[in-house]
Amino acid sequence: MIAKELVDARWKAIVGGLITLAAAILITYSYVWVQSLSATLDRAPLAPADRAALTASLQNFDLWAWANWFPKNAPLILVPLAAVLGGSLIAGEVSKGTIFLLLSRPLSRDQVLLTKYLVSAGTLGAVAGLGGLGLLLTAATIGHPQPAGGVLLSTLLLWLGMLAILGVATLLSVLFADVLRPVVGAMLVALVAGLPGYVPGWQDWSLATYWASRPAYFGTGFPALEIGVCLVTAVLPAVAALLLFRTRAY
Amino acid sequence: MIDTVAPTDSTRAQAAAERPAIAIHNLVVQYGDRRAVDGLSFTVPAGAIFGFLGLNGAGKTTTIKTLLGFRAPAAGSAQVLGYDIVRDSQAIRARVGYVSETNSLYDQLTIPQIIAFCRATSRRWNGAIVDRYIRTFGLPPRARVGQLSKGMKSQLALSLALGGEPDLLILDEPTNGLDPLARHEVLNTLVREIAAEGKTLFFSSHILTEVEAIADWVAIIRDGRLVVCDELDHLKQTQRVLKLTYDQVPAPAEIAALQALPAVARVEQEGRGVRIVARGDVDALAQQLQGRPGGVRHVDAVNLNLEDLFLEYMKDSSEGQQ
Repeated sequence: MIAKELVDARWKAIVGGLITLAAAILITYSYVWVQSLSATLDRAPLAPADRAALTASLQNFDLWAWANWFPKNAPLILVPLAAVLGGSLIAGEVSKGTIFLLLSRPLSRDQVLLTKYLVSAGTLGAVAGLGGLGLLLTAATIGHPQPAGGVLLSTLLLWLGMLAILGVATLLSVLFADVLRPVVGAMLVALVAGLPGYVPGWQDWSLATYWASRPAYFGTGFPALEIGVCLVTAVLPAVAALLLFRTRAY
Repeated sequence: MIDTVAPTDSTRAQAAAERPAIAIHNLVVQYGDRRAVDGLSFTVPAGAIFGFLGLNGAGKTTTIKTLLGFRAPAAGSAQVLGYDIVRDSQAIRARVGYVSETNSLYDQLTIPQIIAFCRATSRRWNGAIVDRYIRTFGLPPRARVGQLSKGMKSQLALSLALGGEPDLLILDEPTNGLDPLARHEVLNTLVREIAAEGKTLFFSSHILTEVEAIADWVAIIRDGRLVVCDELDHLKQTQRVLKLTYDQVPAPAEIAALQALPAVARVEQEGRGVRIVARGDVDALAQQLQGRPGGVRHVDAVNLNLEDLFLEYMKDSSEGQQ
């Protein structure tokens, strides 16, 4: 069954992987380009303090890499991928009628859903890992090697955060018989879960705060709280999906 | 009129009860407030080729899905191969081969990939059987499932179901949409593989001629309720039409008197003739009518095929509902 799930997920994984890798490479090399622009900052109509802050941030590649990858571009790619992977898990089988072949096998419903979920979680992890690896390698090639442990830990957190979206999409996939509603629903949930991050004083209520942890990347502290929050938000919808799938009639 | 399992022949009923492949007792399955299966009870003897008949929406597919654990019953119980359908659903599916009404194969997989999937998710597997049937049906062995015709997909689904060496094969409209040649091949395969090895075949179908060709037992349901369940030969033996020709148009009193006779299920007047649907000891009834005073010129006994029987039962249950 794992092989069949891998065949199902292969195009999503390939497309997601290529986009992720390309984005990671672009972020690294865009730093070189932006730095060349920073020479023109002297002529920009900015307040001296702003000019100084901007110049400082542009001279710190580590900050540039983290800020552009983990809170921004990586979730922009991985959230839709998680929604598409999770949204099609059961709803895809129902809409194509293949659910009857699947359910006629001597497997428990828990086995069916867990296998599907774990393959999708693995795919998501591989794509996130590919992005992290791309970032590490390309950063090294332009002379700004990044902390491997920080990239690894941050990628792990990002992956755990994406598992929450995968879990929601899986839950909606058990609930609905078409793929569109779970995919759109999971993306909306991701949007809502990230919105408090844009409200001053509400950042702690944003899931993005936890999956894109700055201390984890820079090694200034072990992100125990972040891991805990991401784990809980990942497990809850997956368990709900499992319980619902046990009793769902087809 | 609602019959239960073969009430007239104790040995057949006993055989069915002793080793049932499927035993259903007062099964109720609901879709919201609607009862798709409404107090259904019947038994499928082990080794039988059992045709499960009914109009569209009668509850055939729902019954099959419930037997396989796709849906939970609202009330009643059922056992498949001795296992309870609610408690032991996984054990049932380990010993049952199933082909669904719709194409449920993965179009994106190749034939070797879908065989590998079925092998990996089966408790037992006989690859030689699958290979043999793929050759017999002339399926392209490395093709993608999505490239196969509807008939080929049905043949592949059947080959895969047989690969698990099931003790019971449950097929929901197995020849739906197949051309006559493909239908013939599928039916031949079923009879050869299932009947020859003493396994049980439980299948639903709209094509009554094919049911008649291979089934030895039939059950007819309507609106989720059992209309009749019996051995096909017994059903044909004990249900016939008697055509009576009178000297003149029979009086309403005569029609009423005929209706009151034992073994008469229904009486329809057709000019000077009367058509009687008889159930039970039809020969005795025919003799009784032959010597009946009141101008009966002659009595013809007409055997019914399965389609006629089906239509008669559908008429009966419509009248019963009215």
